[in-house]
Amino acid sequence: MSKKPVTQPALHKVIMVGSGGVGKSALTLQFMYDEFVEDYEPTKADSYRKKILLDGEEVQIDILDTAGQEDYAAIRDNYFRSGEGFLCIFSITEDESFQATQDFREQILRVKNDENIPFLLVGNKCDLEERRKVTYQEASDRAKQWGVTYVETSAKTREHVDKVFFDLMREIRARKMEENKTNNGRGKDKNKRKKIKCVIL
Amino acid sequence: MDFESPDVMKDFPGLYASEIHKTKSNDPEYSDDAEKVTKKDILIGKRKDKKDKKDKERGYAALEGESSAEESYEVRSPSKSKKSKSFKFPTKSREKREKSREKDKEVTEKKKDKDKRTDKKIEKDKEKCKLEKKEKRIKSEDWCDIGEVLPIFGVSLKLAIEHGRCHDGIDLPVPVRACIEYIEDYGLSFENVYKVSGPKSKVLHLKKLYNQREHVNLLDYDVPTVTSLLKMFLRDLPEPVFTSDLLIRFEEAGAILNVAVREKHLKILVGNLPESNRLLLSWIIVHLYNVTLNERCNKMNVQNIALCLSSTLQTSQRLLTSLLFHCPALFPNTVLEHYVYPLTSTSQLPDDPEVMEQELLKQESLLAQIHSEMNVGFISKQREELLWEVQRIITQLKRKLKTAHKDREMLFEKIDEQHVEETVENEAERSTTPTISSEAEVQSECVEETRVIETDATAEAPVSDAKLSDSSSCEKSSLKEVEPPEVPVSVPENKLLNNALALLQIKNTFLNNLKESF
Ligand SMILES: Nc1nc2c(ncn2[C@@H]2O[C@H](COP(=O)(O)OP(=O)(O)O)[C@@H](O)[C@H]2O)c(=O)[nH]1
Ligand SMILES: [Mg+2]
Repeated sequence: MSKKPVTQPALHKVIMVGSGGVGKSALTLQFMYDEFVEDYEPTKADSYRKKILLDGEEVQIDILDTAGQEDYAAIRDNYFRSGEGFLCIFSITEDESFQATQDFREQILRVKNDENIPFLLVGNKCDLEERRKVTYQEASDRAKQWGVTYVETSAKTREHVDKVFFDLMREIRARKMEENKTNNGRGKDKNKRKKIKCVIL
Repeated sequence: MDFESPDVMKDFPGLYASEIHKTKSNDPEYSDDAEKVTKKDILIGKRKDKKDKKDKERGYAALEGESSAEESYEVRSPSKSKKSKSFKFPTKSREKREKSREKDKEVTEKKKDKDKRTDKKIEKDKEKCKLEKKEKRIKSEDWCDIGEVLPIFGVSLKLAIEHGRCHDGIDLPVPVRACIEYIEDYGLSFENVYKVSGPKSKVLHLKKLYNQREHVNLLDYDVPTVTSLLKMFLRDLPEPVFTSDLLIRFEEAGAILNVAVREKHLKILVGNLPESNRLLLSWIIVHLYNVTLNERCNKMNVQNIALCLSSTLQTSQRLLTSLLFHCPALFPNTVLEHYVYPLTSTSQLPDDPEVMEQELLKQESLLAQIHSEMNVGFISKQREELLWEVQRIITQLKRKLKTAHKDREMLFEKIDEQHVEETVENEAERSTTPTISSEAEVQSECVEETRVIETDATAEAPVSDAKLSDSSSCEKSSLKEVEPPEVPVSVPENKLLNNALALLQIKNTFLNNLKESF
């Protein structure tokens, strides 16, 4: 029972958000199983776990692939709350999906209450350049405004698929290390204070 | 001590029937504080207690949170909560004080050796504190005990089923299923089963574990404790299982002298019960009936059982006796099915598509319950872990089912193709000279599928995927007369089926290996 977490690979929890049909499931399945599904099957929620090597360190990634158009907000919040990093996906062939990213960003910030939550803005379906509706500039401007990175991917050709997941995991890892450091730096009595604070609540 | 004698009731007034009054009075030993505490109390007066519990939970979560599924299963095991309990009989209010002191000490001790490891988590918890403060008021219930807000014991049957749902579609509260299962397996030949009571402290402890959704292993307890637990559940129901509306009519029916008329009336009344009441009643009566069938071993005949359980069921001995007497007629279809909990991520997924479908339903039921518990504010690291885990199992099951269905489709296609091929061969043999026939056989072996598919269109055979074409076939004309389903199952077809099945199995093991390697 008292096994130290050191022996366990770190676990990073990633959540895919975005409108329906932008390729959240396609990106997830491409990353997980190197497969691309042509037919569109609406997702309710799916979760996957994979062991990977992140810069030489063995880690586990938990991916939650969510539904796009949510009428069940309560369920969504249960997931968002436990997510440690978010891939916010839109399709470069559909302006509406790009506009919707604003909402998703807000929902996440509302639940996580943290401006610096690991987060990537992802423009998917970049293999369909001829049908592009959202310019690279537009998207990266929004990303800059949010203080996040913008990456274009194709779940079909696998372009940048690994990159978005790995970049996000690096952000999550860095975030966790930062949290650890502030914790250790302040020492034990800090914890005691925290304890009391919780009691007060 | 002569248990058979009804006098025993006078000597031990608290033993059976009068326990009901005890519960209703304020005897602190039997009324556990859970029920007496309002939500407000929980949020204000009992804050400290809650916090300790919370921290304990968090402490575990901190250890297990980032660990393998194997250990997260351990979180659900009963061991931890059991260890922290002592089974004493202290007196009245002192008990409470002692308990809380004990608990505090324990928690501090636990905290000490966990502090180092939980630093990070505590930081997070703190953030969460802040966060949750901002959230809806209801969210602060996170700091109280689910067993006190959404208990299984002491609430209406409907709520008990909701809070302690069995996920296999038989809607009885988990402790009821578990107790009956246990007694059916280990208690039927136990002497004076249901007459002998278990130690109250243990019974109350079990009740608490169930209320808090802890994993309970009844095998760690003895028969009297388990029968007492089931009795406690029934006694704690605010309304008799017969419902207040129908109880009098049940009593009247049970008193009818004419056996046939009595049975008829009872049958009608049972049919009039709400579904969940009928289900619970059927299980209880069928189970008690099974107990009386073993009267020779356990010394509990119908009269004894009726004596011991009538007050528990808030009814008369006469009605209970009647129900037991008519049990086979009243509940002919009740099967006391064992409840198998939803799988955890450490267990193998089933391979049989039908079992997979059943498991999927279970997991989805479990998922819905986790969501609904979280939605009323019971949010903890542990529950979040469980949420992701169950979601993961559902995803895996769905994927596996999809492949299984695909495989089956392919298998059927192959079989259908084989049907046509067989037909073709038969026809060839019939309509040509032996030499040509053998030639045809050889040919059919090398061309295999392609030729068959070509014939398909003409033959109206159930093969659908005619993508390939090959013009080598020469039997087209004769095919129309042959009805493929009439061809007897021949050796090569069986062989093909076996091969396909073997292939499927290999695929499944491969999938399992893959799954394990994740
Ligand atoms: N060309 C192209 N199609 C894609 C890409 N990603 C997804 N799709 C297709 O878009 C549709 C919707 O994808 P899906 O992953 O189900 O979207 P989701 O609702 O966000 O999960 C499917 O038909 C996919 O095949 C991509 O990168 N390029
Ligand atoms: Mg999807």
